[in-house]
Formats: sequence, C-alpha cells, structure tokens
Amino acid sequence: MNLALRARPRLLVAEEADEVAVRLAGVTKVYGKGRGSVTALDDVSLDVGKGEFVCILGASGCGKSTLLSLIAGLDRATAGWIDTPVAHPAVMFQEPGLLPWLTVRRNVELPLRLRHSADSERRVVVNRLLAMVKLIDFADSRPHELSGGMRQRAALARALAQDSQLLLMDEPFAALDAITRDSLHDDLTRIWGDCGNTIIFVTHNVREAVRLADRVVLMTSRPGRVGRIWDVDIPRPRTLDSAEVAALATEITAKLRLEVSSDNR
Amino acid sequence: MTTARLARAGRALLPRVLAIALLTGAWQLLVVIGVQSPGGVPLPGPGDALGAMASLTRQGLLLPSLLNTITRAATGYALALVIGTIIGAAVARVPLLRSAVGSLLAGLQTLPSVVWVPIAALFLVAGGHDENAMYFVVVMGAFPSIAMGVMSSYDNIPALTFRLARSLGAKGPQLYRHFIFSALLPGYVAGMKQAWAFSWRSLMAAELIIGSLAGAGLGTLLDNGRALLDLPEMFAAVLTILIVGIAVDDVIFSPVERALLRRRGLLAA
Repeated sequence: MNLALRARPRLLVAEEADEVAVRLAGVTKVYGKGRGSVTALDDVSLDVGKGEFVCILGASGCGKSTLLSLIAGLDRATAGWIDTPVAHPAVMFQEPGLLPWLTVRRNVELPLRLRHSADSERRVVVNRLLAMVKLIDFADSRPHELSGGMRQRAALARALAQDSQLLLMDEPFAALDAITRDSLHDDLTRIWGDCGNTIIFVTHNVREAVRLADRVVLMTSRPGRVGRIWDVDIPRPRTLDSAEVAALATEITAKLRLEVSSDNR
Repeated sequence: MTTARLARAGRALLPRVLAIALLTGAWQLLVVIGVQSPGGVPLPGPGDALGAMASLTRQGLLLPSLLNTITRAATGYALALVIGTIIGAAVARVPLLRSAVGSLLAGLQTLPSVVWVPIAALFLVAGGHDENAMYFVVVMGAFPSIAMGVMSSYDNIPALTFRLARSLGAKGPQLYRHFIFSALLPGYVAGMKQAWAFSWRSLMAAELIIGSLAGAGLGTLLDNGRALLDLPEMFAAVLTILIVGIAVDDVIFSPVERALLRRRGLLAA
C-alpha cells in the first residue's frame, strides 16, 4: 500500500504498461558517502516484459540482491527510476522467513489476513496454493517440522498468496541440496506456467538460470552493471543436464569467469 | 495410553523426588550429629519443621500470612509488569531513551532490591503507607527483568521478519499484531519468569525488615520465630516460602514457557 501511494514518475506510456512489468532506467545505488562510499549498482537499465521469467545472474557482491530490494521497494535507489505497474511485488528471500509461531496454513494465509479477505475466500485460496506447492498434508505442521525444501515451498505459496503479478525471488533455492532444488525448479516452472506472472529471479548458479529463464541477465561486479543478456530459446520442459542447457551454461560460465577474474585483478 | 502417560510423568518426577529425599536426609543428618546455635538451641529437623507448619496452620497463623503475602506479591508483580512493559517498550523503540537508560536498566537488574528496603521504610512507612513501601520494593526488584525481557527480545527479532513484514505491506497496528507481539512472546515470558523470582525474594526482604501493621506475612512469621527463638516456626516459614516460590514457577511460568518454545521448535519434544 505504501508503495502504491509513493509517487513514482511514470516511465511507461499507457500502451507500454500492457507489455512491460518492470522498467529500470539508470538505476544507481551508492552506499555510504564521500571516500568510503561503495557503488553497488551503476546505471542499470532493463525492461522486463509481462509474463517473462528473467534470471539475474552474477558473482556474489555484484549488487543483484540490492537490485531486487530496490524493485521490491525495500530500499531506495540513489539515482535513476524504477517503474513497476504492479504496485506491490511479492518477494521471496533466500531464507524462507516463515513465522515460527504459525502453522504452514497460517503462514500462507498471512498476506490474505493482512488485506482482510473473507474467511471463506481465504480457505479456498490457501487450499489451492497449498495443493499447488504440494503441502496440503502439512497444512497444520509448524515450520520447524518441515524440511528445507518444504519450507521454501511454503514461502513460495505465501508469496503467491499476495496475488501479485510480479514475483521477485532472491536466491531462494541457494541453501537447498541439488535434488531438492531440481524438484523446486520443476514446481516453479509449472506454477509460473499456470499463473502467467512475471518472475525476476536472482541467482549465482548459471545452470539454474539457464534451466529456468526466458532471459538471463549477467551482471558485472563492482560496480554492478548489466553485462550481457542471453535469450534462452530452449523449449520447456528443460532439465538441468540436457545438452542444450549445458551448452549455454558453459558459454555463460566462460563469460562469468572472465568477469570474476578481471574483477580480482 | 494412560498408563504410558503415568509412567512418563513418573520418570520425569523421580529425579526431583530423589533430590528432595537426599536433601531431607542430609538435613536430618545435621540434626542427628547435634548441630546447634551458639546459644545452645538445637537445629530442628524436617519433622519438627513440618510439625510447626501443622501447628501454625491449626493456630490460624499460617494461612492468613500466606494469603497476605501472596496478595502483596501478586499486586506488586502486576504493577511491575505494567511499569516494566511500558519502560521496556519505550526503551526498545526509542533510540534516545535506549542510549540514555539502556545500561542503567541492566545495572538496576543486578542491584539487590533489598537495598531499597531501608529507603522505602523511611520514606513510605513513616506516612503510614507500609503496604506501599512493600510494593515499591517489589516493583524495584521485578520491573527491570520485565523491561529487559521486552528490550532484548525486541532486539532479537530477525531483520528478515521486518523485511518480510514490509514486503507484505504490514505496518502500524498490523506490524505489531502479526509480527512483533508474537516474536516478542518467548523473551517476554522468560522476563516474566525471572521477574517473579525477583519479586518474591524482594517481598520477603521487605516483610522481614519492615514487617507490616496491615497484616502479617510469611516474612513476619519468620521474624516472629526469630524473636521467640522458635526455630521450628522459622523453618516452617522458610519451607512455605520455598514451596510457594517453586509452585508458582512450576504451575504458571515453566509450562507456558515450555509450550511456547516447543511450538516454535526451540525445545526438544
């Protein structure tokens, strides 16, 4: 609500707003002032189309999480403009951030409670979401009783309960083991296909980016800038070890390696 | 099912029963080897103390004292709860207040509240307000624990919880209702539990030293025993004070604390 009220200059003209979910124009973020200041993001410009799945890829410290916080409205850019026709993006963090005093069901329905939706509607919506993330049998469990993968599924359901057309994901599967991550990739791809929402997904895992995204945006480090963008035309369903995914991942990794080595020089 | 539960309860209780038996045995041993005061009064045994409890009860002295003391403790504790909560919340939320009184609060918590007794006796009893003097001592003993409980558990709320609340658009009353209050609860209850221990011992100090015109309490009973050299009565008073202190913790605070922690997975089931 806060975000909706905050006046943002409209970068998008009306017909564009039907096409574009997020527009970043010259976004710059500087932490600190004077000589000790650090430029986390420098002149980042990017359009993300409606319904698009974009992965932002980069080494740690390249400012990709900062970028996501800015889009989410959790932080303010030093310069530049961010335009999201969707007033209140849903966010999923690296940690599930489930509230330990609530059951899975209550955690998932929290966004609905916060906007005072009716009991009957809430039950229907939450049951649908729990089924979607395969947690219907764990509705009355507490977060500490779930595995890491199940917790992230619950967090995904909670983010979806915000019913936002824009979902921002900040390395949500980074702490999971490879097998669990792979099954969550499947779930996420399926859910994105069903919901038709826009997803911006931050990761440092190249294969993950290639497996999931329509477009992979490679960010350079210190300061964070948009390096290169790849369109991923590999048909879905994709698998992590398919030849096409591996080939593109190798290409991107080579570029990323160049990036990291020039950064360390 | 029921037998299994009984067996489990028995297993949990057994170490405590053993410990009490051991302590009682050690006490009895001191009596048997003839420990006595420098004035030649022999140390009463556990049996003497229980006998004194029974006879004090029959004389109608124990229960009224107990009731007086518990009423005082509850009133003082309630006051401390209100004051401590308000101060704790203010200090947690207002940075200026925190730098001003944060460390003072921690210092106050280590200050033995008995030091307030003479001051309270002088300022408050002289006006004929001896009940107020006791409340004052109890509040001074207990409120820092409550305030510290609020403050430290507020500090311990993970940053992610606030980020989450913001990203879900919760602010103002919603932020408190759905996020902060629940996050504070375990630390708050821990503070309440500690504050109970402090208020109970503060009240005993106050009753012992100030006594009370309004109505005798357990501390008064203990002081009377000393005046009359009635050692069994003194031990009866000490035992009663100990039992009440443990019972309140066992019946109220510990179960609530355990249930809270277990629900959040912070305690092994």
